[in-house]
Amino acid sequence: MSAALELRQVSKSFGRFHAVRDLSMSVPRGSVYGFLGPNGAGKTTSLRMILGMLLPDSGELSVLGSPSAMAVRGRVGYLPEEKGLYRNMTAAAVIAYFATLKGLPGGIARARARELLIRYGLGDFADKKVETLSKGMGQKVQVLASIAHDPELVLFDEPFSGLDPVNQEVLEEVLDDLKARGCTILFSTHVMAHAERLCDRLLILGGGRRLFEGTPSEARALLPVVITLETLEPLPDWGGFPGVRASATEGSGRWRLELEPGASSASVLEACFERSLRLRRFEVREPDLHEVFVHLVGPEAREARQR
Amino acid sequence: MRNALLIAVREFVGNAQTRGFWFGILLVPLLGIIASQVPLLLARKGTPTRHFALVDATGAGRGAGVVLEHLQSVEQRREYLHFREWLVPRWGSADPLPGVDRGAPSWKDLEERVAPLLKADAGRFSPPDPLHRRVPLPEGLEWRGGLPEFEERLRVWMREGRLLRVDGADEPVPLFAVAILLEGDSSNAPPILRFWSANQADHRLRDRMADALSRDHRKREYARLGMDPGTVARVEGLEAQVIDLNPRKAMGEERVGVADQLRQWAPSAFVYLLWIAVFSVSQMLLNSLIEERSNRVLEVLLSSVTPLELMVGKLIGVAAVGVVMALAWIGSLVVVTFGMIHTSGAAAIAPDSIVSRLPIELATLLGDSWLLPAFALYFLLGYLFYSGVILALGSTCSDLKEAQNFTGVITLFMMVPLVSITFIPKDPNGPVATVLSWIPPYTPFVMMNRVAAGPPMRDVIGTLSLLVLSDVAVLWACARIFKTAVLRTGQPASLAQLARWVAGRF
Repeated sequence: MSAALELRQVSKSFGRFHAVRDLSMSVPRGSVYGFLGPNGAGKTTSLRMILGMLLPDSGELSVLGSPSAMAVRGRVGYLPEEKGLYRNMTAAAVIAYFATLKGLPGGIARARARELLIRYGLGDFADKKVETLSKGMGQKVQVLASIAHDPELVLFDEPFSGLDPVNQEVLEEVLDDLKARGCTILFSTHVMAHAERLCDRLLILGGGRRLFEGTPSEARALLPVVITLETLEPLPDWGGFPGVRASATEGSGRWRLELEPGASSASVLEACFERSLRLRRFEVREPDLHEVFVHLVGPEAREARQR
Repeated sequence: MRNALLIAVREFVGNAQTRGFWFGILLVPLLGIIASQVPLLLARKGTPTRHFALVDATGAGRGAGVVLEHLQSVEQRREYLHFREWLVPRWGSADPLPGVDRGAPSWKDLEERVAPLLKADAGRFSPPDPLHRRVPLPEGLEWRGGLPEFEERLRVWMREGRLLRVDGADEPVPLFAVAILLEGDSSNAPPILRFWSANQADHRLRDRMADALSRDHRKREYARLGMDPGTVARVEGLEAQVIDLNPRKAMGEERVGVADQLRQWAPSAFVYLLWIAVFSVSQMLLNSLIEERSNRVLEVLLSSVTPLELMVGKLIGVAAVGVVMALAWIGSLVVVTFGMIHTSGAAAIAPDSIVSRLPIELATLLGDSWLLPAFALYFLLGYLFYSGVILALGSTCSDLKEAQNFTGVITLFMMVPLVSITFIPKDPNGPVATVLSWIPPYTPFVMMNRVAAGPPMRDVIGTLSLLVLSDVAVLWACARIFKTAVLRTGQPASLAQLARWVAGRF
């Protein structure tokens, strides 16, 4: 699978502040790619460099095979983090306007705007001015404005922020539809549940540096599987258990075991039976992306906050 | 370029949909109507009758008669003019009473003569209230005890702002003035008019009294010196014939007429229009940019267009708004002028005056002079200069409040050409006008004002070239600032920072 977007050793500073340092990434065509990081991690700066709004100080970019997103801007869609629209334009007109700026002829853009509004439940509001729409509706209109020209690559900066659960579902539907027709999606988010559910691959950024790049399961594998168990035996010897790399007592016969990467919890259970341990509880908990995220960026985020 | 045009169209439509645009379009003709009609309306309806008392303390007692006779004659003339005005729509001709203007006969005599010729539903003319009406001295203010004692009582009485009852008025009225006529200092000296009035703005009564007394005294002096008053009056009526000629005009057409007077002063009106147009559209541009910055549309736009396309699009779109506004102003001024001439009856007041010929001369002037092309050119160049600066500064501000700090300074800067409007036409090629012409931000306004005077070609070409170069430089520098600042957030940039951005250092 060729890359829709590639960054090689890209850096950007503003004065003495290093916003992005030696960032490399490769977004495969047709994939959904998560761009995760705490505030100030360099996500928006990276997206602006990808879009050609900012020039990198060093490094190389390739957007749909072009060194400049401006050259292929008609094939790229963008939804910024802070959403805004022309308040005195109608929903249909504003979508059509942004589509024409992306190269769509006026008539086709207007037809496409209405089609999208109907498909995603805003047909009745097509001729309403943006200022009369609710915040959620306005955000949906902006999402539709960013994809009305049928882009091959879309960049969404925090697309879920400010949306209620119902509209979040609609946005996920939009992402599914885009993915189904082969569009490459890169989106930044703070909500790990979305990244976990939607992303094929993800990149975690902290302090302008890449902290992780891979699939969600690869990310989860960064942290150990934890088993919590309770036994009547006073002091089992966990050292002989397969794959257990650390143990700690939590009192009253309760233990917390951390497994080595790749180790199986079933082997531990089997070993318990072999040693005739009398178990009252055996709970396996795999790490989620949130824990991975906090684990990776926690120190960075705290440092950034202190700075 | 396609994207710049798309942005221009949206900018134009967006502005044309605002109330401010339509208010701006209607403002100038509205001001024109107000400026021309309100004084007329006030002259007709707004001035109340002034009540005055007259004390003739001249030994001969002749002064009061002279003054009152003159005031009556002036009042008769005024009634006659109102009568003519009333007559126009009932007659169907612009000049129903040719040849009787100077005599100003009593309207009562004329009414009988013209009655059979009027339309059936003409009705009856009712004369306006008199401007001035003499009343007797109020009770307690009789003339006695000599001038100092009388004036002491008079001062107290007038300072108290007392009202007096007069015949024909339902309510008590204020005493506008008390005029005291005294003998001159010597036997042949003209009489003295001591005019007491708390109103120091309306001098008409005082001037008319003084005029009557002066003329009467001169007549008596001529008689005393053995000169025939009739002959003197005829001789005093002789005036030199003045023919204004302008050497700049074509041979055989040197005579200065109404069109020339218009040509002399019309540029000043155009400078006002130019100033308002440049200022208002620059403000529109700033509002539009700040709106896009504050509602975050700018970032979406910049994912689709380059900063230069955005800037050019906005400049073109808002310039189109300015052009439409200016055309609407000029067109509506012509229409309003035509309308006023044909509906107000002004032609009846002065059938051969500049007023009656104004529409034709105005249309001729606009059609065959350099005014409109110069206006278009200087609007464009002035607009590019100021809008470039405003766009660059606006791109560094997050909200209108921040931006107003900059626009305040720019407005002060732009006041200079506005102040120069009145004195430049009097000396259009003088040193001040010439120096101001060569300062690029002032060039459009000052050169527009000099257009009628035929400034030296070196001034026209030189200032124009300098202005074009300045526009290019300003737009280039502003584009660099705009490109850097437009996505920036936080505090507005300092001057040093702006200079660094222009130099390409970030």
